Amino acid sequence: MGKKTKLIKKTSKAFLLTGFVLTVLSSIALYFYTKNLLRDQAEESLYSTEARVVNALKNDKVVFSLPPVTEIKTVKKIRPEILKDTIIYDPSQDEMEGFRELTTYEEINGQTYQITVRNLVVESGDILVAIVISYISIFVLAFLFLFFFNTTRNIKLWAPFFKNLEQMKRFSLSSNEELQLVDSDVLEFSELKDEILLLTSKVRNDYDSLKQFTEDVSHEMQTPLAIIQAKIDNIINEHTINDKQFEQVSSIQKDIQRLKHLNQRITILTKIDNNQFIRVEAVNITKLLEEKIENFKELEINYISLHSKNDLIVSMDIYLADILINNLISNAVKHNIEKQGITIKAENSTLIISNYGQKALQHPEKLFLRFYKEASSVQSTGLGLAIVKKICDLYAFRISYRFEDSLHIFEVDFSENKS
Amino acid sequence: MKYLIAEDEIDLQQSIVTYLQRDGNLCEVASNFNEASEKVAIYDYDVIILDINLISGSGLDILKSLKKEKKEVGVIIISANNSLTDKLEGLDLGADDYITKPFHLAELNARINAVLRRGKYGGDELIEFNEIKIDTRSRTAYIDGKAMALTKKEYDLLVFFVSNKGRVLSKEIIAEHLWGDDSDLLDNFDFIYVHINNLRKKLTTEGAKYIKTAYGSGYKFIED
Repeated sequence: MGKKTKLIKKTSKAFLLTGFVLTVLSSIALYFYTKNLLRDQAEESLYSTEARVVNALKNDKVVFSLPPVTEIKTVKKIRPEILKDTIIYDPSQDEMEGFRELTTYEEINGQTYQITVRNLVVESGDILVAIVISYISIFVLAFLFLFFFNTTRNIKLWAPFFKNLEQMKRFSLSSNEELQLVDSDVLEFSELKDEILLLTSKVRNDYDSLKQFTEDVSHEMQTPLAIIQAKIDNIINEHTINDKQFEQVSSIQKDIQRLKHLNQRITILTKIDNNQFIRVEAVNITKLLEEKIENFKELEINYISLHSKNDLIVSMDIYLADILINNLISNAVKHNIEKQGITIKAENSTLIISNYGQKALQHPEKLFLRFYKEASSVQSTGLGLAIVKKICDLYAFRISYRFEDSLHIFEVDFSENKS
Repeated sequence: MKYLIAEDEIDLQQSIVTYLQRDGNLCEVASNFNEASEKVAIYDYDVIILDINLISGSGLDILKSLKKEKKEVGVIIISANNSLTDKLEGLDLGADDYITKPFHLAELNARINAVLRRGKYGGDELIEFNEIKIDTRSRTAYIDGKAMALTKKEYDLLVFFVSNKGRVLSKEIIAEHLWGDDSDLLDNFDFIYVHINNLRKKLTTEGAKYIKTAYGSGYKFIED
């Protein structure tokens, strides 16, 4: 489908177009019809005048020529009658005028007469114009009235539809706000409303049960994982195994840790979805960053530098603030393959974290999606940035990613939430 | 020491018992809420390892009744739920520690020891292992009566080793203990060597012999 037009505009447009075409066509038809009618009338009157002249001549009455209306001449021979339009100088008006002219030849009392009768055409032309103009104006007026009547009526009629449409646009699975749909006395609209309600409640139920399912699965997985973990710990200690077996068993432990982290992150995502972080306090992001950087130093990650002229303070849940910062820095650390410096800038209301990268991401638009991984070499759950995005969405912070001068740059704009 | 392990997953419960018994501890078990409530009411323990989600009841209720009766017992909560509120609730109710599934038995053991050391429950704030002495209150370790200049991580590492003496500790377990969740940022655990080597140096030739390599890539703190 191409260009989208608004419903009211579309119906109005169709209405106006039909009206225009109708007006033009009917005006043309009316014009020709009236013109013919007038011509017929004029001709009839010409013939009747001619008949009267002939009658008068027959009765030997004196008939004057009255140019240009009637002219009587005696001629030698009879010719067929001529009916034509002609232009003659009218001395009374002192201008050239159009006439309808009938010329007949009659033999009366042994004399051959050429009788010419004329009718001023202007007269009938004026009438014609008057008729067509008044017709058009009446038609246009009636049409305009109909148009406005129709449009307002349409707007009123469709109002429930538009209102419900607006509501649907605002529909969000993550908010528990019910749709406030308006009912209508139009059967179809009423049905539509019921269907929307049915559909949205079904979607919401499905979403909730899916969420619950995810939560349950990740929760239920913890116990079997704990059992595997504990058994491995005992295998290492209770039995004599060889080095290779130990290595394999240790690697299983690593995988268990991965699953554990995955579960933790899924749980965090679900909790944010469930609005379980409602505590809001003024969090000093700069201070938090300093602590994080100190922690990372213990992991031999000592290439992070922080620039902060003034403390960045944001109103949010401190636990989520911690996750937000941790995930962003972790992401930078994990993808900082060359071990070049990571620069963090926290000022006013923005936080910028940048790390070196050889090339731009292939699909930056997918960056914040769950389980999206650009590089398989890096061990990650694929949820870290999804959580970051979720936290930003929760507080209406704006997060953006760009690649500039061989740097992956993440920017979080906390404004409007700055306390 | 006498422990009660209240855990309804028998496999996990038995694994914990096996691990803890090695140090000559007495381990009793409870596999559901009623059994746990009964045992807690009748017997005295040094430490109770308490699963929150017991069949037919919540471990938190047992914790409440324990505190009501003012029993002198250390409580470590095990939970499948890594939620902060659960954790805070448990600690508010008087639990001494909180550990989330899945966990390493070495980690659990270290936490039990830490709880015991806090003194209240018959433990000692001083850990002794031959010529090594660790004062957990001032967080200082002594070798042959001389204080060692340990970094925070080296101190934690030493306490972890001593708490889990005789057990094999993989680098993963050590990293997890020292750095928690941040340890998954590491591509490899090579730099744990550095920490362990530093610790060995500071333990002098006398103490260093206790840290032994096990299975090529793991470690074991053991008397010869």
